[in-house]
Amino acid sequence: MLAPLSWLKEYVDITLSPKELGDRLTEVGLGTEKITKADGDVIFEFEITPNRPDLLSILGIAREIAAVERKKIRQLNLPNLTKPKKESLPIKLNPDYKLFQRWTGISIANISIKPSPQWMQDRLTKIGLRPINNVIDITNYVMFELGIPLHAFDYDQIIGHEMTVEKAIGGEQFTSVDEKSYHLPKNAIIIKDKERIIDLAGIKGGLNSGITDNTKYVFLHVTIDDPILIRKASIALSLRSDASAIYERGVDKGGTLKTLARAAQLVIELAGGNIASKIYDLKNKAFEPWKLKLRTERMNNILGIEIPEKRVLSILESLNLNPSIITLSSFPRKRESRFVPVKTGIKSGVTDSVIECTVPTYRNDLKIEEDLIEEVARIYGYNNFPKTIPIGQLSTKKIPYFKDFKIEEIAKNILQASGLSEIYTYSLIGEKDLTEQRWKTEDFLRVDNPVSLEFEYLRPTLKINLLKGFSQNKPNFKDINLFELGKVYLGNNLNEAKESYFLSGISNTKNFFEVKGILERLFDELGIKEDPTKFIEILDEGVFFEINYSEIIKQVDLNKKYIPLPKYPPIIEDLALIIEEKIKTGDIINEIKQQSRFVTDVSLLDTFRDSRTFHIIYQNKEGNLTTEEVGKIREKIIKFLKEKFNAKVKE
Amino acid sequence: MEEELIQIKNTAVSLILDILDRKTLEEVKLQFLGRSGKLTLVIKEIAKLPKEDRPEVGRLANEVKKAIEDTIANQELRIRQLTDQESGERKEKIDTSVPGIKPDIGHLHPMTQVLMDVVDVFKTIGFQVADGPEIETDYYNFEVLNIPKDHPSRDTQQTLFLDTRKSKVVPGEVILRTQTSAMQGRIMEKIKPPVRAIVPGKNFRYEQVDASHGFEFWQVEGFLVDTSVRLTDLFGTIDYVLRKLMGEGIKLKFATTNFPFVEPGVDTYIQCTVCNGRGCSFCKQSGWSEIMPAGMIHPNVLKAVGYDSQKVTGFAFAIGLSRLVTLRYQMDDLRLLTNPDMRILEQF
Repeated sequence: MLAPLSWLKEYVDITLSPKELGDRLTEVGLGTEKITKADGDVIFEFEITPNRPDLLSILGIAREIAAVERKKIRQLNLPNLTKPKKESLPIKLNPDYKLFQRWTGISIANISIKPSPQWMQDRLTKIGLRPINNVIDITNYVMFELGIPLHAFDYDQIIGHEMTVEKAIGGEQFTSVDEKSYHLPKNAIIIKDKERIIDLAGIKGGLNSGITDNTKYVFLHVTIDDPILIRKASIALSLRSDASAIYERGVDKGGTLKTLARAAQLVIELAGGNIASKIYDLKNKAFEPWKLKLRTERMNNILGIEIPEKRVLSILESLNLNPSIITLSSFPRKRESRFVPVKTGIKSGVTDSVIECTVPTYRNDLKIEEDLIEEVARIYGYNNFPKTIPIGQLSTKKIPYFKDFKIEEIAKNILQASGLSEIYTYSLIGEKDLTEQRWKTEDFLRVDNPVSLEFEYLRPTLKINLLKGFSQNKPNFKDINLFELGKVYLGNNLNEAKESYFLSGISNTKNFFEVKGILERLFDELGIKEDPTKFIEILDEGVFFEINYSEIIKQVDLNKKYIPLPKYPPIIEDLALIIEEKIKTGDIINEIKQQSRFVTDVSLLDTFRDSRTFHIIYQNKEGNLTTEEVGKIREKIIKFLKEKFNAKVKE
Repeated sequence: MEEELIQIKNTAVSLILDILDRKTLEEVKLQFLGRSGKLTLVIKEIAKLPKEDRPEVGRLANEVKKAIEDTIANQELRIRQLTDQESGERKEKIDTSVPGIKPDIGHLHPMTQVLMDVVDVFKTIGFQVADGPEIETDYYNFEVLNIPKDHPSRDTQQTLFLDTRKSKVVPGEVILRTQTSAMQGRIMEKIKPPVRAIVPGKNFRYEQVDASHGFEFWQVEGFLVDTSVRLTDLFGTIDYVLRKLMGEGIKLKFATTNFPFVEPGVDTYIQCTVCNGRGCSFCKQSGWSEIMPAGMIHPNVLKAVGYDSQKVTGFAFAIGLSRLVTLRYQMDDLRLLTNPDMRILEQF
């Protein structure tokens, strides 16, 4: 939303510099994105949050400025629209209150279409609009001035002088004033005359009933359109207009007559003419301001400070919320030391009061007490608040979805210490990434509206991105060691979808045993009893591993217990065996360990041709092992290995 | 003969004590103790002495031999020590300014390093870490957070919808979460207050990628609900956490904003560290970067999870983790965080 300073000043006196004003408005919620100087004026560019349709207008912005400047708004001097003696241009309106909650209109006769005056053209240009002619410019001008959309029809082009609001069936052809053709979506709100669709309500007017250079009679109307239907139609058509942006957010239902009066005033002033119909105002509700209560005690509890009541009232007053104190507790209130006393301002009274506000219809974002609390807090200024640290209980119970972050830290630290560098990559991958792995795309989860085809599928593995990272580094590095801990998405449809963290890595400097050793060390540190061999794959690029991390950390056991140091010395010996190559070392080690509880550790010391030398540690925790005892165990081992693996002791 | 022996001893010892190299020492050793050495020759003569004199002279000869051997051994040790000292002096001649040999360790991603810090800081004020799904329902991502269908605020979070074919899921109901706030409902509906939680995680939005936006980005959601949580607590927590993470000297400011799931709504801006507030492409020339949107949890949200908003209050926030990382290391583009280039990784 663009707003020229000169236009704003018509409504309110501004003492702050543009920069100060922008900063202050940002603080109170009117995000100032840009301030530019142009032609002796200053143009503000504001970002309007979805809850504030009223700020999509110069008047609305001026009201915010009035609140921060503690000034009064200058009200427009509007004529009372009165019914003429002769209704020369009557019109029949057939309402549907589900579609238009309110329908306000008037006819004006004998106007002359010409360019609008320079001052109006300048203002429209400054807010990014293109001037067309006086009547069309007036509708745009008034919409941006007051924040309620309106439309002007060529009265003569409304066949039968009758208008009916209804929902589109879907597929109807419609040509807008800017000569673009649309097929209407189902349930778009449309206005028909006796024969044709003449308006796509809330979004765009129709070419067939629009103002032309020859227009002599106009029908001006202001409607309150259903926000959801407007939103759906404008999304379906990919057609967002200034009017639809206001309607979607919820327009000021109480302001239609004022808007109509302002438009009529300007038409008569700039295009001549006279009022030629009664004032139509079809509605099924009164659309009056509503009451909202604010308990100061509740406010203080939520804000954590006590803002003096006088200041609270003046803030609410400055926002036109018409505050009045309706309850005064005569009991001295218990003072809670938790409140941070406000240093500036007058000390508040010792009573708790309830302040009743009357909310103007343009502030339909104010629905509950907390909304009023925010109003007070934001104008008081968030940056004027003291800062406290929450008190209260700390729960020692694990919260739902608890994650032991420490495990991840340990895992990543071990991989880092082992020489691997961590990468983060996208979860979304392309069809090509999958087909290159000879996978069928239908086996994987897919996004319906990807930002691009490169990011259409949810990755089922971290391998693809690791390999990409690997090749990306190839030109610059000889040694590449990478890992990622990230989510993969399994299952081929949403009912079976499962997210799992995977831990994967690739190395072209480490051999199979070095990678296996890293994983063994990782598992040891986490207390996981698992053989990592099955997670390792030897690729052309290097040694790759991929672990279902979510699954494996279910085994994590970080509990440690001190084991007393042995009182008796171990006996260590090396045993060289001739065993067929096909017999796995891991199996031999396991079998040796099985032979006696006094065998406390076995490792492969050396391999030479067909012989393997094992390093065996014998130890008895309760006493010394004698040479004979060890001899017996050794014999048992040799005998067993001979029977099982046909192993022979090397001479 | 006795005198001769003592003479040999004295000559040998004084000679040996002056020797400072191994070679000479070896020669002298031979000169006295060798097969035809002075002492050896004298000892051979003992056999020629009268029988009664032989034990006395023999003992003396042994003593002399021992004394010479000991002196040689001691001198050998001395020479060795002296040589070691010399080689020590030689060591200093190595050019020690040459860089050392570093062990090969890898690098943790900057995102991980910052996240570890974030978790640590929140631990100090009693927050636990939770983790939840990225494939999320419309209910938790939007509806429980007071964002009904067809609400214009959904425009600010353009959604990536998942293909529902082959499943019984109604199209549009299951999406990639657009915000970690989706975890508020999931956690709160399962536990009674007090609760203090942070939820780090990845989010997805239909967004065109540029220096400060991505279609995948990280946030750390956090919330606290208790019997009397106040807006000043929120300001204090944000201030404490960001100063701990980004340094005592950072500049922060708060502004009002609107998210349907908070009221009052707060936005937190940090002075851009890339340009020190002068304005750059990263902060869209404003000098400030939005870092931590927050607010007091909206009564409708508390109600939706079964809490009584008159009895408990709470605050919630979301730290833009990706942005925090780029701001901490003055990286001018969010896309650097998903770039696996080791020339980037090795800087951290």
